[in-house]
Amino acid sequence: MAQKKRSGFVIDVSRCIDCRACLVACSAENNVGMKYTRIWVRDLGVKGEYPNLQRTFVPYNCMHCDNPPCTEVCVSGATYKDQDTGLVLVDQEACIGCGYCVDACPYNARYLDHERGVVDKCSGCIQRLQIGQQPACVTTCVGKARLFGDLNDPNSEASIALKNARTVQRLDYEKDGVHTGPNIYFINGEVLEDASVLPRDPRYPAAEATWKEILVPAVLAGIGLSFVGQATFFTKQLLEGEKE
Amino acid sequence: MSQARVSRRNFLKLSSAAVGAFALGQALPAPVARAARQAGLIDADGDGYLPTMCEMCVWRCGVRAKVVKGRVVKLEGNPEHPHSLGRLCARGQSGLMNTYDPDRVLFPLVRVGKRGEGRFRQATWDEALDIVAQKMLEIKEKYGPEAMIFSSTHNLSQVQFENLLNGYGSPNYGTQRSLCFNAMVTAFLLTYGVEEPARNYDDVKFILLVGRNLAEAISTSETSALVDALSRGAKLVVLDPRFTKTAALADEWLPIRPGADAAFLLAMINVIVTEELADCEFVKKYVVGCDELPQAMQDYTPEWAESKTGVPAGTIRRMAHEYAAAGHNAMAHPGWRTSNFINSFQTERAIATLNALSGNVLKPGGCLIAASPEASGVPLGKPPQPPYPRISALRLDGVPWKYPLVPLKLGVFQEMRDAILSGQPYQARGWFIARQNPVLSLPDRNRTLEALGKLDFIVAVDVILNDTAWFSDVVLPEASYLERYDPLNVVGGKIFIRQPVIEPQGEARSALWIYKQLGERLGLGNYFQYADEEDYLRQQLAPLGLSLEELKVKGYLDPEIERKNNGEIVFNTPSGKIEVYSETLAKAGFSPWPAWEEPPVPPAGQFYLLTGKVAQHTQFATQNNQYLHKYQDEPRLWMNTGAANSLGLKDGDLVEVTSAVGSARIPLLATQAIRPDCVYLTPGFGHLSKGLRTAYGVGASDSTLHVTYTDPVSGGQALSQTFVRVRKV
Amino acid sequence: MSHKAIPLPERKRLREKKIKKHALANILTHWFNVGMWLLLLPTGIAIISSPRLNLSPQLVQDFFRNLFGGPANLIKFHSTVGLIWAFVLTFNVLLGFRRYFVPFAASRLLLDRDDVEWLKLKPLQMLGFMKDKELPPQDAYNAGQKLYMYVVILGTVGILLSGVVMTFHTLFPPVLKQWAQPVHWVSVFSIVAGLIIHVYMGAVFPEEKEAFFSMFTGEVSAWYARAHHEKWYWNKVREELEWEDRVEAELGEIARHQQPSGDRPETGQVTS
Repeated sequence: MAQKKRSGFVIDVSRCIDCRACLVACSAENNVGMKYTRIWVRDLGVKGEYPNLQRTFVPYNCMHCDNPPCTEVCVSGATYKDQDTGLVLVDQEACIGCGYCVDACPYNARYLDHERGVVDKCSGCIQRLQIGQQPACVTTCVGKARLFGDLNDPNSEASIALKNARTVQRLDYEKDGVHTGPNIYFINGEVLEDASVLPRDPRYPAAEATWKEILVPAVLAGIGLSFVGQATFFTKQLLEGEKE
Repeated sequence: MSQARVSRRNFLKLSSAAVGAFALGQALPAPVARAARQAGLIDADGDGYLPTMCEMCVWRCGVRAKVVKGRVVKLEGNPEHPHSLGRLCARGQSGLMNTYDPDRVLFPLVRVGKRGEGRFRQATWDEALDIVAQKMLEIKEKYGPEAMIFSSTHNLSQVQFENLLNGYGSPNYGTQRSLCFNAMVTAFLLTYGVEEPARNYDDVKFILLVGRNLAEAISTSETSALVDALSRGAKLVVLDPRFTKTAALADEWLPIRPGADAAFLLAMINVIVTEELADCEFVKKYVVGCDELPQAMQDYTPEWAESKTGVPAGTIRRMAHEYAAAGHNAMAHPGWRTSNFINSFQTERAIATLNALSGNVLKPGGCLIAASPEASGVPLGKPPQPPYPRISALRLDGVPWKYPLVPLKLGVFQEMRDAILSGQPYQARGWFIARQNPVLSLPDRNRTLEALGKLDFIVAVDVILNDTAWFSDVVLPEASYLERYDPLNVVGGKIFIRQPVIEPQGEARSALWIYKQLGERLGLGNYFQYADEEDYLRQQLAPLGLSLEELKVKGYLDPEIERKNNGEIVFNTPSGKIEVYSETLAKAGFSPWPAWEEPPVPPAGQFYLLTGKVAQHTQFATQNNQYLHKYQDEPRLWMNTGAANSLGLKDGDLVEVTSAVGSARIPLLATQAIRPDCVYLTPGFGHLSKGLRTAYGVGASDSTLHVTYTDPVSGGQALSQTFVRVRKV
Repeated sequence: MSHKAIPLPERKRLREKKIKKHALANILTHWFNVGMWLLLLPTGIAIISSPRLNLSPQLVQDFFRNLFGGPANLIKFHSTVGLIWAFVLTFNVLLGFRRYFVPFAASRLLLDRDDVEWLKLKPLQMLGFMKDKELPPQDAYNAGQKLYMYVVILGTVGILLSGVVMTFHTLFPPVLKQWAQPVHWVSVFSIVAGLIIHVYMGAVFPEEKEAFFSMFTGEVSAWYARAHHEKWYWNKVREELEWEDRVEAELGEIARHQQPSGDRPETGQVTS
């Protein structure tokens, strides 16, 4: 039985030097709007007291979650989890750029491209995967901090690195028993406790929350009433026979 | 183009329109296309990957450029190139925005306003080249060829640049070297007979970096190798007054007092020789002066060094032990930009000595290889040419009459600039600058601008209107590196090609073409006996019997030169050995041993002004690149938080930094990551050219602050000897 | 009801007499709407894929996505048809705005006191209460129909505006698009709620069979009109009588003029 692919990243935090080659490579490869970035290197800052200092850099992008909060709220079906790779993708021809998904993502991994009127984010460079290449950020990483592959395949480079890691951290987010199941594993780093990398609660914009909490119940009630009223009348009609 | 003035705005509009008009639908140059298509590199539509070389810094990674419909859309590292190994840094990845920069100069420009106004008119190549040749001949006629100075930051077309100036007959040749690595190269030439030993991280166990911020001054493959070595468990110790990103990788960061590196290293040598930690029998065979070394080092105790460096004696002693314990798997990195203090030369001598003591240079496959990475033993051909005219004039940069030990090739660039101002020993009249930005790179920018004012004629070859081009009389547009051929480059014994992956935009041309055109107009046609760029490359390949077509397709060729190695280790020094004790230095009146020279310290209330590198830019050249601009940090003046507090300054305050020669304004970054007696200004910014619409107005330039200090031995500039005051604005 | 007192032959005459109720424009617009809605409603439902809102069965989504080859094509279809619908409607309304739409709205869409009474009484009667009380007379459209027209007009405007925002999404800021989605959905399903009654009343309920056919022929029988839209019926009758009176008066005038001079009007010719 062929197991489903679980595409994901393994980030060796001890190797990242914040050179930002990955950020430029991604921008070029994916024609990212000049004002935006699909991926980040989060700088956890200079920690400690001079001269005992540490500084950690955390390459960061969409987690391509097992249970993505973004696909939960997309109204047009533009964002979806790809069957073949497990990547979470955005079909920008179906996206209207409302931004529900941007608010819903606990990792702040998505953004609105105001020039193009759509949402954008890391796509795992699926166009490169299709021709046997790795994502642009992974290929170019000078420190070899970024690894990518099928995490369900124990022989993939990423899985092997994960297995041999000294420390592993996965920034899972859980609510009401549902885990996002993020597919970026951070290895060999200090425990990442910085707010800039930890997930936050999903947010639902006023329009979406109003829709869900108020408008849907109200309209369904209206339809229900209408239907019930009609059914009653119809039943009466059947019982009493045809009239003039 | 008419004689009507082209205002800056018009000029910029023309550039953008030109770029727009030409960028789309550019076909591949036919010969490149044919070869690549045959090899299956590109498909029938002309889309595919073409090999060439990066030029975003001097590491020159091999690149595979992805071309779609005549446009470069992505750059990948060439896995076959030893400097890239398949990876590119941020600058390498951004290279296509260098080619498609809307501020590219695409047509020859002739100044119409005053120098510095940025008012140019477009000219044809013929007109521009005629003007340049005419002016240069005038100067030669009236004042002698030595009155024309030439400068260029080392690049692949350097050989033809040198050809031009040598044929013209001028001795005045400036490069960036004395602003960068004179200390290192001179020290290693004198000690090992090589300009720069190669580094091998495969088995290294202990790495000592003195500065050499590999995580930010990125040399792609070397930076990768360092991170790999650390992953395998090698220990890294970093000496740096600033907690750089390399220091963040290190096991130990020692915030050493600026200028005191030599004290630390001499103390390490002291410990090693005093405690007899080196494999002396083995080492003695190859090192001159090994026996007398303990006595020469006897004053340099760790306790003495502690008073100079601020690093505890115990730590220094322990470093010496750890270094020695790693034997030939210890590496004291030679460094690269070593233009910090006048005593940086001695620092480099001490590093060379430390390496000699570990024996790492002596083991085949050891972590330091005393063969220059640039020398290859591959005998490339070149076009025939007559001998150069004899030059009797003195060099304006004082080599060798003021600086006897500085190799001619290195020169003392800042001295040349000062000679323009002093008019001694004679007055320079013209300056030809290619691929260089001395207005921002030379210390003391005001002096440089003043020097420009003294010249009759300034011509610049550049890709964008960088600051020096901004002040020039004629600007000749060079094609970007993705659009041109350059002479072949040998790396790791393999021959690599730079070839155009798209047609040049506008009227931009390669330097090979420009120099030949100019040469012919100067009556120097015989020095440029190649029909075009391809002909030049063919002549380079001729002695090896290799095919240019094959080279174009593969991107490189291995000439498979048999390397003779009879097992003997010989160094290219007068004695054939490693000259820790240098007779050459003694004869020239300098200390024959690595020695301590007391550096200056800032007076009370002043700071050391440090400089350095950022991973997202290359010196003063790339700030206009939109991809790099997107991901750069805001330029700031770094100051230790405690020091800032005592001055009543806080993070984000706008401050004025003042030195003896100038001042600059910049917001403050209060941070723990720097010594309290130091400040650091983000390098590379403060551009004066309004033709750099992305870079103009961003940050400040440290060249306005740097005082010119030159090391008499190596000619190296001492960029960290400038002291500054900082106050809130 | 009052019509029960009418004798049979009179009933027959009334049943056979036809009165024009719906203008051709009205009929075409109605069926145009039906056709467009048959395309737009299912595809629209198929588009809404938010699992959190859970507004559409997965089967419907999958079916239509397979049919059109993905969500992008489905959305393109829906928005293209939507734009056609919007354009035709808007064009029609604007073209006939002063001449047709305003009088139509003024005469048939405004609620009066009878309507309010009717609205209070009718639902109770439908449930079987107060069957003996007489319903106030209704105009061309009864109060329920008028209310439904409000829902349709407001809903349609909501659909069109929000639809335009979503279709031309590159021109609008995110907050508008965030609200456009629920507005679109609420507008559609408010109309759907009314549609349930409208379709039942129009097509299923046997008493209203004539109403259904009138949306094709444009005519209803006088009997039907008198039974269900009394006010309108008597208005029509009054109009007819007034017309007859006017004709009589004119004929009389002509006859009086003709007496002394011997001029005879040509046979059959009535000038008025």
